[in-house]
Parts: sequence; structure tokens; C-alpha cells
Amino acid sequence: MPDSTFLDSTELVLNMGPQHPSTHGVLRVILKLDGEKVLGTDCVLGYLHRGVEKIAENRTYAQFNPYVDRMDYVAAISNGLGYCLAVEKLLNAEVPARAQAVRVILTELNRVASHLLWLGTHALDIGAITPLFYCMREREAALTIFEKYCGARLTTHAFRIGGLQYETYEGFEQECKDFCDMFLPKVDEYEELLTANRIWMARLQGVGVLSAEECKEYGVTGPVLRAAGEKWDLRKAQPYSGYEKYDFDIPTCQNGDTYDRYMIRMQEMRQAVRIIRQAVDALPAGPIMGKVGKVIKPPVGEAYVSIEAPKGELGYYIVSDGSTQPYRVRVRPPSFVNLQALDRMIRGGLVADVVAIIGTLDIVLGEVDR
Amino acid sequence: MPDEQKPEGSPAPSEGGGSEAQQAKPPAPATPKPVPPKPAAPPAPKPPAVMMATPWTAPLAEDLKARFGDAIKDTSTYVGQNFVVTTPEAAIPVMEYLKVEADFDYLVDVTAVDWPKRPERFDLVYILYSFARNERVRIKTYIKDGDKPKTAVGVHLTANWLEREVFDMFGIEFDGHPDLRRILMPDEWEGHPLRKDYSILKQDQRWVRENLAIESGQ
Amino acid sequence: MGSLLRKIFLVDLFQGLGVTFRNQNPKYICTEQYPAERPRIAERYRGAPRLNRNPENGETLCIACNLCALACPETLIVVTSERNEQTKRKDLTNFTYDTSRCMFCGLCEDACPVDALELTQDFEMASYTREGQVWDRQALEEGPRPKQYKC
Ligand code: SF4
Ligand code: SF4
Repeated sequence: MPDSTFLDSTELVLNMGPQHPSTHGVLRVILKLDGEKVLGTDCVLGYLHRGVEKIAENRTYAQFNPYVDRMDYVAAISNGLGYCLAVEKLLNAEVPARAQAVRVILTELNRVASHLLWLGTHALDIGAITPLFYCMREREAALTIFEKYCGARLTTHAFRIGGLQYETYEGFEQECKDFCDMFLPKVDEYEELLTANRIWMARLQGVGVLSAEECKEYGVTGPVLRAAGEKWDLRKAQPYSGYEKYDFDIPTCQNGDTYDRYMIRMQEMRQAVRIIRQAVDALPAGPIMGKVGKVIKPPVGEAYVSIEAPKGELGYYIVSDGSTQPYRVRVRPPSFVNLQALDRMIRGGLVADVVAIIGTLDIVLGEVDR
Repeated sequence: MPDEQKPEGSPAPSEGGGSEAQQAKPPAPATPKPVPPKPAAPPAPKPPAVMMATPWTAPLAEDLKARFGDAIKDTSTYVGQNFVVTTPEAAIPVMEYLKVEADFDYLVDVTAVDWPKRPERFDLVYILYSFARNERVRIKTYIKDGDKPKTAVGVHLTANWLEREVFDMFGIEFDGHPDLRRILMPDEWEGHPLRKDYSILKQDQRWVRENLAIESGQ
Repeated sequence: MGSLLRKIFLVDLFQGLGVTFRNQNPKYICTEQYPAERPRIAERYRGAPRLNRNPENGETLCIACNLCALACPETLIVVTSERNEQTKRKDLTNFTYDTSRCMFCGLCEDACPVDALELTQDFEMASYTREGQVWDRQALEEGPRPKQYKC
């Protein structure tokens, strides 16, 4: 007889993932449990590591552009926008007004698509299957616009350094407007399904609370920060690509729990629609490509440019040595940094909440692991 | 190979000439072996091979200089972005000072840049943001290979994973880090992929063989 | 009383069925009978590559300038050419395109000065072997085979 059996120990180590459907990819979380209570977590990352930053050092500036789409693949357009803005900053290049407006439209559509995917999968994790189908249906409409615009639905490679490669297609404005008209009632529909749903509220309210101070401490940005009450959005704080021209609000909540993050993202979708409408109405005519030359060769220097991606602050720190290839590209991935707060949010919670909290962080493992 | 002098007080690492550029080409290892010039490779660069940064003279910069004296080697701004170059020892105190006194309460990123031909091989870069001032500042320090800079976890908790990533990718060990393990690469992996002498095709053959049961990952 | 009648006459059930049948409107049906019917694909879709030929004489449009190969991030295009002594121009001899490594970013297509290389709306590029993924000039000019899958 052994002196002690596993029954004597109060601690249980449980491995979750990397093939767990609720970890949204290949995240592996090692949970230390006391019964149902989580005592601590350890994330094992890197299952999707492809060395994007290394690849960047071996490609020219233009050639690296498609690779950034593969980090946060549900918001590929945001990734591309951030990268193009960073290189344009190094080049000191001006982007024509039309290109900027089209960029805003597509980026906001992408934000909607990203939040829709988040909503569908998050609701699925919590146990509501219906929203997934609804969300996918509307997301499809957004993806169709991408496909018509640039020929790809997910890894779009929609923007080029200096502007756009593709002119908008016939009926682009109308389709965007139709999308907005179609979409707003649908958000109400999702809210009808979830917002006052008792199970939804019971599972989300008070779960995974992160205060604004903790968010700053952990570098957590995006909807998670706004749900904690900090009114901070890079589109307003440091506008890029002409966001200062559009009128929109930054939704905030107070509690900083999972439910609030849900509310924030729902509001953000509405705001995104508002921005799309304004941008489409005021879409200027003109060229779509700035003067950057065929060979992109920024002067020696370095720049950090960040944008408000659907997940938070997405930054690119690019060091140029004056050649056609970046000397170093560092991506500041919002998912990676946000994921770090997982431990703080889960401690003391229940195992069932782990799924809710991973879902609410809205991580994409392609971006966490790069 | 030319260019090794770093003018004292120069705002930026002064290499990055043509030879440097060629070295970054795909299959070229970092050994100074002649690399077949690619069509796109620039010829020996004309003048400014250094970053054309201008001095940064905001009150904050003056404040830092007054407070830390010689530890602040430089305060400059490039494309409208301010950065401070400090001695390695001063980086953490400066960050702490900025956090406490100037509201730079959000550490955006920690990263490194490898310059294999410089005596201080790595740039360690901390990007800070202040919500109250809506301002960014970068802290840069130059460290040698094998140096153990102090960790920033005591100041900003978010540095934990970010420093782990720097350790993983560059092999820079942080002194006092609570949990310095690899984060993206497998634990037993050998080599640090983002170093410039780690070619893009290189991999830890032994690890691949033992763990994936294939000869090569390519 | 009212609720009892509702129950007896299955009002809720019929209401629910009403929703179901309203959504049976052919306008909302989006299932595509794929192999039998080609799905609708956007005009700008970036799919299988094609090397365009001059429709009049069937000669290739490609001038073997190699720009596509230089533009490609994955360097998966190999253009071989030989110099034609009479016209003093380069003639294309072979053109290989490794679709297994291609990410359909469209950079090669953008780089081509004469619109010879084009990413088309074809998307059926499966193959039983790795070698089958490497397309040579003939495959690029004639398009993927079979042209249409039967169901
Ligand atoms: S689509 Fe992109 S990856 Fe594919 S061959 Fe063209 S340039 Fe290369
Ligand atoms: S860029 Fe066009 S013309 Fe030039 S080699 Fe490629 S396909 Fe031929």
C-alpha cells in the first residue's frame, strides 16, 4: 500500500488543450485545481509558431505584406493596415484620401467580421449554439465584400504599402450600405438572444473580472480594457488613416467582467457600422496609390506604429537599415499580451469559467504564436 | 568588413551599410563570406547610413537628463517618435521613474534587435505609453551578448511574457525574472531564432528528429 | 382559459412552424449544389494560376522577364528562357509554378507587365502527389484538369 494516494492530495493538475475546441486553436493551458477551483494556470504556447518575424527579415517590404495576414487570420485586414502604416511612416509616404477611406471601410468591416466570429464561438463555448449560425451568416456577407474587393476572403492582402492595389468594384458603396442596413437589426437580434438570457448572464456576470489598473499593469488593451471603464481607443487617441474625420463613440462599461466585454463588443459592432456609413458616404474620388516607387527602400531608422485591431493594440516596430528588406520587424500582438492576464482572471474561479474567460479574451492563436 | 565605428553620442547604431544589408539576405550566414549580390541589394549606401534623428528637448527629456545625468546617453526623436537611450543599468530605474512620476503606466512592448557586428550586440527596446498624456516613449539600451539586464517585471507585470519571448528569440537572460523559460519555441530547442546568425533555414535537427520522427522539417 | 386553448390548438407550434416556413423562401436558401453546379465566385478571386496565350495565334504572352519570380515572396516561380537570335528577344522555354507553396497573394500577378500570369477563378487544385502540385508551362496554359468534377 502506498502511503498516500492521489485522493489525499487536494491538488489536481489538469491539462486542457492543445486540441480542446474551446481554446480557440492550439492553446494549451495547464490548470492546477482544487476540486472545481482553479489555483493557477500555466499557458503553453508556440504550437502555431511560424517565425513571422524571422521571415520578415528575409523578405522585401512588399513581399512581407501577405504574411502579416496570417497572424490574426480573422482580422487580416487590420494586420495589413498596421503593417502598411508602419512602413509608410518609415518612408514618410502620404496615402491618398480615397485609399484611406477605403482602408477604413474595409478595416471596420473586418472588425465586424472578427467580432462576429468571436460572438459565435464564445456563445458556443457557453452553450448557446444558435448565435453561431446567425453570426456566420452575417459574417459571410462581410467576407463576400472582401472577396469581391480583393479576391480573397480571409487572408486578403488587401492593402499595399502606399495605398491600395485594387480599385473598388462596381457597386462597392451600395453593397457596403446594404450590409450596414442589413446588419444593425441583426445585432439587435443577437442581443435579444443573449443579453437578457438568464443562462448567459449567470455564466458571464462577475466572471473574469479585470480592473482598469490591472489591465494597464498587464498591458491589456482593446475591448477588455474598455470594459473595465478606461475610455481608450487608439482610433481616437492617436488617429490614423483618417479616423479623426469620422464621428463615433467609444463604448465603455464599468465592471470589467466577461459580460461587460460582451456588451462592449456588441456596441463596437454598431459603432463600426456607423463609421462605415460615414466613410462610404464621403468616399472621395482620386488616386488610390501614393508615391512610394516600385522598390520600397526606407531610410535608416525605426518606427513603432500601432492601430486598434479588433483585439487591442496591434503594433509594428520596424527597424530599417536602408536596404530593401526590413532589418527587424517586431509585431506587438494584442492576443499574446492579453492572454497573459488569463492567470489573474481565472485564479479562484471554477473550471467551467476557464472556457468563458479564454473566449472573452478573444485570442487568435495565429497571433499569439506568430 | 567596414563600418564598425559608432560615433560617441550618435543617436542610432551606425551600421546598416551595404555589407550589413547583404548579410540579412536569406541564406547568407552571418559569417563574413561574400554573398552573391541580389539584384535588389543596394550598392554601397550613399550618405546617411545613420538614423537622421533630431534631439528631443521636451520638458520630460530635460527632466530625465537632470535626474539621471550621465545614465541618459541620448534623447532623440525620429519620425515624431521620441526615444531615450540609457545605460543598461539605468533602463529599469528610468522606467520606474517614468511610471511613477510621469504616468507612463503601460508597457507596450519589450523587444530586442540584433546587431552582430557591434560590440554591444543587442538593442533592448522598451516601448512605454502614458494614458494620461497620450504619449509614447521608447527606452533603448545597448547590451553585450551574455549581459544579464535586469528584469522589468517589478515595474510592469506585462514584461513577464514579453521578456520570456526576448529570451526565447535572442537568448538574452533577464536577471531576476520570475519564470525565465522559453515561450514560443519548445523547451529543449537549441539556438535562438531571431539572432542574425541563425539562418532562416536552420533548425534544431536533433529536436526535430527526436520529437517529430522526421529527418527534417522542410 | 386562453392559455389552455392555445395549448389545445397548438398555437405555439404553428407559430414556430410559421417562422420555419417563412425562412424556406428560396431567396434565403444558400446551399450550393457544388460539384454539379459551379459556385459563384468573385471576379477578382485569386485562384489557380494561368499563363495566358494570345487568343489569335496561341502564342504565349509571357516575355520571360522574370519579374513575377522576383516578386514572389515564396520564390516558387521558375522561369526559364532562351535567347532567340532572330528577334533578339527572350523566348519562354519553361515556367514552373509550385502551387503547394503558393499563398495566392497576387504579387506575381501584379508584377507581370503584360498580364501573362493571372490568378483565375479556378480553385480545384487538389492532387494525389506533391509533384502534381508543381505545375509546368503546359498545365499553366491549359488550366487544371479535370476541368469539372462530376458528382
Ligand atoms: S500568388 Fe504570391 S505566393 Fe503565389 S506565386 Fe504569386 S507571388 Fe508567389
Ligand atoms: S512577369 Fe509575366 S511576362 Fe514576366 S516572366 Fe512572369 S509571367 Fe512572364
